[in-house]
Amino acid sequence: MAEFLTDLLAWFGDNWSGSTGYITRTWEHLWVSGWAVLAAMGVAMPLASWLGHARRGGILAISVVNVGRALPSFGIVALSLPVTIRIARNVPFIDSGLGFLPTFVALFALALPPIFTNTYTGVRNVSPEAVEAARGMGFRGTGILWKVELPLASPVILAGIRTSSVQVVATATLGALVAYGGLGRYIIDGFALRDNVTIFAGALLVAALSVLTEVAFSIAERWLVPRPLRNVGTQQRPEAAASVAR
Amino acid sequence: MVSPVSDAMIRLEAVTKQYPGTMTPAVDELSLEIPEGEIAVLVGPSGCGKTTTLKMINRLIEPTSGEIVVAGERVTEMDQSELRRGIGYVIQQIGLFPHRTIAENIATVPKLLGWDKARTNERIDELIDVVQLEPEMRDRYPAELSGGQRQRVGVARALAADPPVMLMDEPFGAVDPIVRSALQDQFLDLQHRLNKTIVLVTHDIDEAIKLGDRVAILNVGGILEQYAPPSDMLREPANAFVADFLGSDRGLKRLGLLPIRNANLEMGPVVAPTAHPQDAHRVMEQYGVDWFAVAEGKRLLGWAPGTALETAPDVRSIPLQPYRTRIDVGSTLKEALDAVVSSRAPMTAVFDGDDYLGMLSADRISREIVQ
Amino acid sequence: MTLVAEAFVDWGWIGDNLDEIWDKVAEHLVLTGIALGVGLAISLALAALALRFRRSYTPITWMTGTLYSIPSLALFAFLVPITGFTTLTAEIGLVSYTLLILIRNIVAGIDGVPPDIKEAAVGMGYGRLRLFFEIELPLALPVIVAGMRIAAVTTIGLVTVTALIGKGGLGFFILRGLQRFFSTVGSTEILIGTLLSVVLAVIVDVGLLLLERALTPWARRKVA
Repeated sequence: MAEFLTDLLAWFGDNWSGSTGYITRTWEHLWVSGWAVLAAMGVAMPLASWLGHARRGGILAISVVNVGRALPSFGIVALSLPVTIRIARNVPFIDSGLGFLPTFVALFALALPPIFTNTYTGVRNVSPEAVEAARGMGFRGTGILWKVELPLASPVILAGIRTSSVQVVATATLGALVAYGGLGRYIIDGFALRDNVTIFAGALLVAALSVLTEVAFSIAERWLVPRPLRNVGTQQRPEAAASVAR
Repeated sequence: MVSPVSDAMIRLEAVTKQYPGTMTPAVDELSLEIPEGEIAVLVGPSGCGKTTTLKMINRLIEPTSGEIVVAGERVTEMDQSELRRGIGYVIQQIGLFPHRTIAENIATVPKLLGWDKARTNERIDELIDVVQLEPEMRDRYPAELSGGQRQRVGVARALAADPPVMLMDEPFGAVDPIVRSALQDQFLDLQHRLNKTIVLVTHDIDEAIKLGDRVAILNVGGILEQYAPPSDMLREPANAFVADFLGSDRGLKRLGLLPIRNANLEMGPVVAPTAHPQDAHRVMEQYGVDWFAVAEGKRLLGWAPGTALETAPDVRSIPLQPYRTRIDVGSTLKEALDAVVSSRAPMTAVFDGDDYLGMLSADRISREIVQ
Repeated sequence: MTLVAEAFVDWGWIGDNLDEIWDKVAEHLVLTGIALGVGLAISLALAALALRFRRSYTPITWMTGTLYSIPSLALFAFLVPITGFTTLTAEIGLVSYTLLILIRNIVAGIDGVPPDIKEAAVGMGYGRLRLFFEIELPLALPVIVAGMRIAAVTTIGLVTVTALIGKGGLGFFILRGLQRFFSTVGSTEILIGTLLSVVLAVIVDVGLLLLERALTPWARRKVA
């Protein structure tokens, strides 16, 4: 036991720098996660806010949650690889279908459901009185969406982005399986070599990064959500958010 | 040792409930005796401790001090669950078990007591009949019933093991006023047959007066202001609080409790068909009216205006009009007064079935209040 | 990259490997079933504790919430140095993820039982245990089953990850496919493993929904 701890400490001393060091690995991990969440926001939010504003597609929103929950993240990551390999072969300016691309595609797909559902329900559940009042003051369709519905829905939308991000950071660990870097590298390589110290160190780093992501978002929520609307997001999170097995 | 100092079914002796962290007790040294087979109603403003008092009887709330004796046994010395299984309990929200059918709900206490199937089933059928539900409701779920029906199932469930004592907390509070009145009548009817000892809590003084053999008026902090039969209380409120709580129309309320059967009826300006016209003039003068009625034995034949006497040779030949202001002897004086004031006749005729008994005027009724 | 096969799916593979597919489906269901059964038992005990001693609820949700927030691969990785590449490691991880959802739903479901129903039961002489098993638990059933459905669907997805520690049910196909991703067999295996996992999740979800309907006949019939 004591020996294991000594080895573990030594590992952290020996492996912090260089292209396989954990600083680089952490950066890789966050890099692919960040792009995946941003891309998912870019796709899901406009569509969901329009549907929520038009008060259409309720069944779609519910199905997205359920399907999202049923998707095995391991399967999605694995499935991306043969897809991106074929894309890379047919699109000249993509030079590799390994590594970043399949990881990104999988994480993007997994990030969509929570953002879509929360944006939709957030906009949809804005009280009809508030919308009516805005209409009475002369706001029109897009004005209502931008000036009333989206600000009021912001806590719920932010909660969706948070759920997605935490999930994406967790699942990015699996990127190591499709030849990407990231912190999952240590666990996967450790498994292959039956190297308990590396496995455990990798697990610690991954767990720490997920917890930090959660913490970062709770701080961001304090900053971004207007005081009267706080708590709304966290209350709705268990119901509205789609959580994917990670 | 408990000494049976009285034949009261339920006895509260200086019962006090003080919740921790409060300055004043919720119930303060309350003593009450409820005789077997009577309905005692606890009534008062909110915060008077009426529900607390009720719940101390089946130990849903434990008294801080004092003694409660039910059927000769101190409740604090009994096993809680056994005590409760022996006492019927009805609450305002009824609290039917939504996952059990009506029959299963009624069978709750028999099942706890370990009755066999046949006996329980027989009892369920009997109770469904007693509370006037249709037999096909047996296998329905509570959600499929109306509010009034659910309330009756609640009463049936409380009666299931035939407990001698029933506790009822605002039992008619959750149903609308029309249904409530009908349920109250049905409840009184039931009590005439079953003779349970009942403690009932309400905030509605009219309900207390209607249902109670005795009414206990409690003040905030669980202070007993008066404990008496309702008609005594209405005639003689113990203090200003009671008078105020009974309301400014307590004379009328008391009339509602007095049966016509016990009142002194008047002869009224009534003559026999064989009477001389002069007799008719005499009774009209005696009662200060310008009409007279004609009765033959127990049959009221009708009435005629005094002017009819001028042209007729005798009473028998006068054409009579039917006497429409009438009331049954089973009604209350309040109903008699209503009959008088809502018709143009100054008197109502009192009947027992088809038999004419006599007359009641507003003046006569008001004298009955004083007695 | 001329090594990569043109075709993505070889439907013939399914027919050639039916026996193995059935084996892995069965393994997947067994892993899921054990995780849910053990998870439910632990959750019931912890929920009962939380309901009895209110102050324990916050630490219990905090603990299970922390477990829930650890990425699955990391959780398995924590366990491997201790319990090795075993079914036990897989089950400890899978059970951990069911706890938060189940405990939260059990507590919420029992808290949601109307107080008048409990008062009536106690007033008629129900003891604490009888109240819990005959009144509170049956009435909380819809909320508890809702939690079971989320836990079941989540667990079915997570079982695939246990392929990385040598178990995995349908995850076995995903991992083997990944090892020969350049061939049509490889992509077929990944696709079939993933699709069947989703299908299993949907079937179990619907199955639990039907079970709930069957167990709560009172909730369906209402006054017209």
